[in-house]
Amino acid sequence: MSGPSASSATLPRTAPASASRVAWLSRHRQSVIVWLLLIGAPLWMPLVGSYIQLGSQILVFALTAMALNILLGYTGVISFGEAAYFGLGAYGSGLFLKYVMPSTLLAVLAGVLLGGIAACLVGPLIMRRRGVYFAMTTIAFSQLFYFVAERWNGLTGGEDGLTGFQRQPIDFGFARITLEGAGFYYFALFFFALTAGVIAAILRSPLGHTWMAIRENVRRARYLGLRTDWYVWAAFAVAGTLAALGGSMEALLNNFASPQDLFFIVSGNFVIMVVLGGMGTFWGPLVGAAIFITAQDYLSSLTANWQSFVGVLFVVVVLAFPRGILGLRRGRKRA
Amino acid sequence: MVLLFNISNGLIVGLFYALMALGLALILMLNNVVNFAHGGFMTLGAYVAFTVEQHFGFWAGLPVAPFVIGALGLFGERWLIRPLYKRPGHLYSLLLTFGFALILEDVSRSIWGAQGLPFAIPDALNSPLSDTYFFITGYNVFVVIVTAVAAGALFALLRFTRIGVRIRAGMTDLETVSALGVNIYGLRALNFGLGLFLAGLAGVMAAGRLGLDPTMGQGLILPAFVAIIVGGLGSLPGAILGGLLIGVAAGITSTYFASASDAVIYLIMGVVLIFMPRGLLGEEGIGE
Amino acid sequence: MTMLRLDGVTKRFGSLVANQGISLSLEPREISAVIGPNGAGKTTLFHMITGFLPPTEGRIWFDGHDMTGVPAAARVAGGMVRTFQITEVFPEATVVENLRIGVETRLGLNARPWIPRSLRAEVSRRVEALMAMTGLTDRADNLVGELAHGDQRVVEVTLALSLEPKLLLLDEPTAGMAEHETESMVALIRRLHSERELTILFIEHDMSIVFGIAQRITVLDYGKVLASGTPAEIAADPRVQAAYLGGEA
Repeated sequence: MSGPSASSATLPRTAPASASRVAWLSRHRQSVIVWLLLIGAPLWMPLVGSYIQLGSQILVFALTAMALNILLGYTGVISFGEAAYFGLGAYGSGLFLKYVMPSTLLAVLAGVLLGGIAACLVGPLIMRRRGVYFAMTTIAFSQLFYFVAERWNGLTGGEDGLTGFQRQPIDFGFARITLEGAGFYYFALFFFALTAGVIAAILRSPLGHTWMAIRENVRRARYLGLRTDWYVWAAFAVAGTLAALGGSMEALLNNFASPQDLFFIVSGNFVIMVVLGGMGTFWGPLVGAAIFITAQDYLSSLTANWQSFVGVLFVVVVLAFPRGILGLRRGRKRA
Repeated sequence: MVLLFNISNGLIVGLFYALMALGLALILMLNNVVNFAHGGFMTLGAYVAFTVEQHFGFWAGLPVAPFVIGALGLFGERWLIRPLYKRPGHLYSLLLTFGFALILEDVSRSIWGAQGLPFAIPDALNSPLSDTYFFITGYNVFVVIVTAVAAGALFALLRFTRIGVRIRAGMTDLETVSALGVNIYGLRALNFGLGLFLAGLAGVMAAGRLGLDPTMGQGLILPAFVAIIVGGLGSLPGAILGGLLIGVAAGITSTYFASASDAVIYLIMGVVLIFMPRGLLGEEGIGE
Repeated sequence: MTMLRLDGVTKRFGSLVANQGISLSLEPREISAVIGPNGAGKTTLFHMITGFLPPTEGRIWFDGHDMTGVPAAARVAGGMVRTFQITEVFPEATVVENLRIGVETRLGLNARPWIPRSLRAEVSRRVEALMAMTGLTDRADNLVGELAHGDQRVVEVTLALSLEPKLLLLDEPTAGMAEHETESMVALIRRLHSERELTILFIEHDMSIVFGIAQRITVLDYGKVLASGTPAEIAADPRVQAAYLGGEA
């Protein structure tokens, strides 16, 4: 055998097409497994004693955690305020359905716009901060939006949250999709896939490479002549916009938007999902969200002190799994 | 009169913010840690004071709580924060203290209950000092005095004692201080304890004013962040100034537009960041 | 046109004078060195040329433009690219990923969230060419942080080259290198000068390297220009021998 490389040398020479297919599969094995599990979830989740609404909930949080991973894992800046854009997405969609028009798809758009614009506006005020100061400033700004949602009773329903809206079936003319049970799950999966696709594409683009440069060595990136602040802004804007999409899904899932969605504790939960799964790994946030949501679901049915368990989870992850579950496998250090 | 009442209210709350911000800033500047658990420790301090008070009275609870919380900080730093100094970046200490914030709130809740508790203050402090200005109570004056003494003592410590000088030097250049043979681990532990001492003190005094409640720390920690950002990163006097400023601003707002009194703090922060990105008294190059 | 010209550049830090009235010039395709004992002000001078420090007095001209107040990033865009004494790379990215950043910066693509396949291929082609030029092809997929020190420095020089500089400034390019690494770095610098016709200014304290490569040498001592000339002139200069060569022995 005289194959060009060791891996292809073991494959039969006569089947180049299937050889490349095998190579493709082995390179994308993780992604293939993830997509198969996600698409089949309505089938297997009940078999392991779970239920599909939990699957939808995991998708919603995983989508948002993936957005946050752009900042934490790929640009190397610590945002502790992502819940604000998540929550604004939820209110944007809820308010649209309640006051403007009963259209689910336009409501998603409204939520994404509200959260995305807010992130674009906050970005310039925080993009020059570094390290802990970036984290502090993001969390402080998130509280601004939290208090608007909590206190503007007339519009948002105040502390009790926004109710009185209902997700609507989607009518394509030839087909009508009711967003219940598995229907909603696949609706959420569609937007999750969209998000994953957008993030994967950007990571392969010059913009994604620039983020990586900032994460790896911001000084060097500046010395190349890059205006790093504005690339951090771009990362913040993209992450906020996608987080708002997650929030929009959350509102549609529950037919409810709560000021708690914007609270800084939720921001912390998103961060721990990303770290638990593995910062800077593509599927880490999904793994982290799945574990976190399942554990929270289980613990909150078991004990009133589940918040302590979440706190302990933070401590254990920091002390024992700083690279996260998928980060362990890869073994590349991440700051 | 309503305005004056709200300003004086805001001033007192601003003093709590300032005390919290002062401790946070100390820890931030030397330990390089955003201590999310600061609010949780403050709450714990308030409850410790409450328990001590039930047996030995207010004047025992007042000094005991800060020392208990400060000691917790000293040991907590040793066993939990110190292993994280050598990790790159700041994320892990942030997450760790965040986890502790959740745990401490839950612990306070399971020991003392989710319901708010009243915190008795001595009658001598409880009465208004003036019939016209009914809101100037002995307790308010007491809070002003205690905070001023605490801040004054802190600045004296930092300026005139050997440890204080080392802490300040370490804030500028920890490596050099270490190279000079100072035990920076001990110094950082002590500083963490000092920061939490102030949190404990803020807890006792806030309890006397706002009552006890497991989430009281949550309500104070973020304004304390804002106080630091507004006052200026890297400036301890800035933390105090920022705290007072946003406290009074929230007080004034509550007179005219009550439902915006919480949000206004964050709006002020936005405005300050637009026009003075370094904050009011911030130094060049810190956090940028 | 003169590539680089310094007119009476002075830097004072308070009462300390780091550089005093330094004038020098560099013609296109010239390779020139600044030498001097430690503390002579070489790095300060480099920082002023590249815009990392503003001079207290004097002017800096580059490619016909007054660059004195221009920020470092803009000088890079103008074609003045430097390396650093302490290696500055992207350590947890591969060699290809490091160079790709440089190429994409040169092409002005950084803000693009999507590029067509043809442009992607063009980027890859340029990265391949750069690696071939500096001998990094074998290490294309290695993490830069895991490479030997000498190779990391080669990556840094290649990263600088990816920006297609008119003037390349190297800050002690062989600092901390093993002997064989030094040799290949010297060979690389020579090749860049002869094949790519780059204008190069470098700081170095290893005398043998300086005399082996440089066409023109400027000797700094106590922040001032002590002598300037061809290697032969410098080697024969009694002041240099006293201040520098003698001082070493």
